[in-house]
Amino acid sequence: MAEKKGPEREIHVDMMGLAFAKVMTIFTIVGIVLMVIPAIAYFAGINQYVPLTEAHKYWNMSASEFWIHVTGRKITGYAWIFDHLDKMDCLSMIGVLVLMITPLLSMLAGAAKAENGTYRILLLIAALEFIASILVKSIAAAAGGAKKVAGKVKK
Amino acid sequence: MAAWWFWPLFMFVFTLLIGIISPVSGVGGGVLYVPLATVITPFSVDFIRGAGLVMAVTSALSSVPYLIRKGLANIRIFAVIAPVMVITSVVGGWVGLWVTNAYPDGKYVIKVLLGAIILLVFFIMILSKRVEFPEVSEEERDSLSRKLNIWGEYYEPDLDTIVEYTTKNTPMAIVTFAVIGFVAGMFGLGAGWANVPVLNMMMGVPIKVATATSMLIITANAPAIGIYMTRGAILPLIVVPSILGITIGARIGAKVAEIIKPKFVRWLVLAILFIAGVLNIIKGLQGMGVIPPILPGVS
Repeated sequence: MAEKKGPEREIHVDMMGLAFAKVMTIFTIVGIVLMVIPAIAYFAGINQYVPLTEAHKYWNMSASEFWIHVTGRKITGYAWIFDHLDKMDCLSMIGVLVLMITPLLSMLAGAAKAENGTYRILLLIAALEFIASILVKSIAAAAGGAKKVAGKVKK
Repeated sequence: MAAWWFWPLFMFVFTLLIGIISPVSGVGGGVLYVPLATVITPFSVDFIRGAGLVMAVTSALSSVPYLIRKGLANIRIFAVIAPVMVITSVVGGWVGLWVTNAYPDGKYVIKVLLGAIILLVFFIMILSKRVEFPEVSEEERDSLSRKLNIWGEYYEPDLDTIVEYTTKNTPMAIVTFAVIGFVAGMFGLGAGWANVPVLNMMMGVPIKVATATSMLIITANAPAIGIYMTRGAILPLIVVPSILGITIGARIGAKVAEIIKPKFVRWLVLAILFIAGVLNIIKGLQGMGVIPPILPGVS
């Protein structure tokens, strides 16, 4: 069998691709760490917003029914996370949020380094759509927040 | 009833096994995770779809930077497709939750649709003939591909050479990706099962580039996570064990891929998909009262 020599020259990778990859690497690690460390504390029973023993009883219900039974509130935005950052399960969600916006940050980094104007515009359009979709949800959250449901008591 | 810790622990082991199977089969984690977890575990389909989406996006985020640096994941193709998929995946995620919440039988409808989609994936996988190095001539290139100069190159060890490639049928592929984004968002799946055939067979890029660029495209589904999060459909006690399981499993799977025959695993995955699809449809139909109870544990 002939010995493989490897590529005869360097592979060309766009600058926008390299910038995209670098930012994605950094924020993925940050997101996973921010998600896992508070989750370990949560599983250890430290500062729980949703007690594990309660979640256990209702996790077969739809998401809306679950929250009504567990907290007496219907979840309609990000308030359940940001209002309870002292609770480990909510704090763990910050890591998921970082993972969610990592592609956005990567697209912006790629657009900044794009050598071609069309690709810069395409990546910026994708980034703007990304931001718009997150904002729409945030506006819904501000309008709704954690709505109290009659007849249920928040723990 | 099992203690609370049983199911998170189960999710870890379950996703570890999926993580081992995924790299050798070419099927993304989400497409196995969502249907199987829906059938096996007691969790609501809302939580499973939320976790499936986070899992698919995280595993893509972890592998994409390496693939870009190797020239396998193509940022030019991504830039053309992402503006369409970002929007349609969010709409799909919203529709999925709306169906579940707006109708009393919504979750059963979702289960039937999920079963149908999984069976569709099953048939696509059986029928699709992947081409390792498709050739796209200058005449076959579409005008969009020419205007945007969509091309790339990577080192192929099997050929011991640098492979250059370009694309064809780009406008048709954009429309197809819009539909894929909607379906992936709606069911909380990664879209690798559909991305790869479109990139490879419709656009004419090499199979390795198609697989890697598919992972890059999956990251564009990330905004749909927000929809599940704002509805409280992402719970750490399901998501975190799943993420850890698939991450560790994928590393083991990469090693296993060197010693196991991928053909065997592919048929194993096909069998799993078929069973999961049929079970989801049966569970959905019996939950809706269309058929008499056959399977236990409908919830």
